[in-house]
Amino acid sequence: MTTMVSVKDVTKVYKRGAEELTVLDSLNLDVPEGEFVALMGPSGSGKTTLLNLIAGIDRPTKGAVVVGGKDIAVLSEGDLAKWRSRNVGFIFQFYNLIPVLSAVENVELPLLLTKLSRKERRERALTALKIVGLADRSSHYPRQLSGGQEQRVAIARAVVTDPQVLVADEPTGDLDAKSAEEILNLMETLNRDFKKTIVMVTHDPRAAERAHVQRHLEKGVLLQR
Amino acid sequence: MKYLPFVFKHLRRNWVRTGSTVVAMAVCIFLLCTLRSVLAEVDSMLAASSASRLVTRHSVSLTFNLPVAYEARIQSVPGVKSVARTIWFGGSLPAKKEGQADGGTDSTTDWSNFFNNMGVDADKFFPMYPELTIAPDQWQSFRETRQGCVVGSKLAKKFNWKVGDRFFLESFIPPYRRRSGPFEFVVSGVYEADLAKYPGTDVSTMYFHYEYVKEGLGREIGVGTYMVEIENGDRAAVVGKAIDALFENSSATSITETEQAFKAGFIAMAGNLALLLNGIGLAVAFTILLVTANTMSMAVRERRTEIGVLKTLGFSSAHVMGFVVGEALLLGVLGGALGVFGSQGLLYGLSVLPGVNELLAGIGLSGLQLKPEVAALGFFIAVALGLFAGLIPALSAYRARITDILRTV
Repeated sequence: MTTMVSVKDVTKVYKRGAEELTVLDSLNLDVPEGEFVALMGPSGSGKTTLLNLIAGIDRPTKGAVVVGGKDIAVLSEGDLAKWRSRNVGFIFQFYNLIPVLSAVENVELPLLLTKLSRKERRERALTALKIVGLADRSSHYPRQLSGGQEQRVAIARAVVTDPQVLVADEPTGDLDAKSAEEILNLMETLNRDFKKTIVMVTHDPRAAERAHVQRHLEKGVLLQR
Repeated sequence: MKYLPFVFKHLRRNWVRTGSTVVAMAVCIFLLCTLRSVLAEVDSMLAASSASRLVTRHSVSLTFNLPVAYEARIQSVPGVKSVARTIWFGGSLPAKKEGQADGGTDSTTDWSNFFNNMGVDADKFFPMYPELTIAPDQWQSFRETRQGCVVGSKLAKKFNWKVGDRFFLESFIPPYRRRSGPFEFVVSGVYEADLAKYPGTDVSTMYFHYEYVKEGLGREIGVGTYMVEIENGDRAAVVGKAIDALFENSSATSITETEQAFKAGFIAMAGNLALLLNGIGLAVAFTILLVTANTMSMAVRERRTEIGVLKTLGFSSAHVMGFVVGEALLLGVLGGALGVFGSQGLLYGLSVLPGVNELLAGIGLSGLQLKPEVAALGFFIAVALGLFAGLIPALSAYRARITDILRTV
């Protein structure tokens, strides 16, 4: 099985004035293609920082982050943005849908960066909504949806560009048990049926159990399995 | 273009704030356009003045007349080609029929039909104004008719006057009122002006014979202003000084200035108009710039998370900056369009509103309208205001780092 995500000897240091805070310390992680990995650990252990590095929204202080065979740590800001739009789907804890856009418009948003026609964009967005089971709510605005439905729209938005990797930061953290179950089922489906490589940060052991692999971080270091 | 609906949707997010910002911008542009139109009209009026025409008036005030005896003395000054006496009559329509009044004590001025009307020494006055053209037969008729008058084409159109029509005028200036009632006039001719060649030329004035009022009142009425044509426009200052020197030690001292300076001085009675109007425009524009900048800053602050999300989805910093600038520009475009249309509406309204148009014509602003270049300037300023207002919030959106934004969610 080929490696989809390879984090090589990555160190991430944040500077707060004169003080330096090492969040990740010479960390190595390989995620094979089609894997579903759960990253766990206490608050401040560096889970989200690692996820951000894999998603290309942050850069390591040292080391390399290779996703789909490309070292994204060396890309310029513009190239990195372009890379994100094509290769990674991000699922947030608080869904982060744009409130003035309907469900289908939210899902369509990443497609604005493609050369697709308006009709093609709309068709793809509706297909993505169908996959997450919300085709009948396409014209609803976020305020008209429940938390679980909002998260499903956010997942549709994450997969609409058909990225290789999905990264999820506590995707069930703001949901009740039933909705969380639905979201985890959906992520399983995406992993199993659509072969998406998923890296998920979670505090919830039940959510972590749904992943194939669980990795624990503590003080910026990945614990041995 | 595919991003435009997205930008529109954001503007609709808080429609009260968007609406009030657009209205504030519109008020600014409305004021700018209207004030600039007034200034443009004043400039146009001044530009229509000839350098070889001087105006001699009483040094104290325009309300005091000069003695008629001055005419010959002015004529004797070297460099003076011709002198014509004029009075500003201040007559208004409709007035009571001739003979019906018993002294005019109870009559009031009807400003709704007011227009500029002047008594002139026609044989000397009109040759000084080559820009005013009258058909030869009408000119001849005017010269031969004691009650005759010539009216500007715009004025004739307004009152639907034709040659031969009669009407009455009564002055609101006491020395020009008579016991027997208002003066009757007959339209002898309609004068035109080649506005392409002489832009700003007034075609809304009525001219009649000075002698007719003098005879009608049965006494000397003096001269409001002497129009003086000189041989060489370059010597205006010298000739003007020489004229005023003649009356230096008299009880009615004079001031002689170019026609342009006279008109500018007339307008300056309201203060330094250009400075005042430009000052108001600038202050309003600056205030609106701050208001719009504040609106855009609030909009960006409220949407920090969304900016982070957009960047996470793959929108570049330039894209996000473009959205913010686009919103600010759209505010400018909407406000500018509304302001320009508002100004156009007001100026059109003034041009058709009974009384107001005549009042404006009375001070030489008969052609007050929104000129395309003023409208374009107003619109440009609105767009520029929008751009500047959006620039700083857009730069902050450009610089915002995704991890910093998402960490504060």
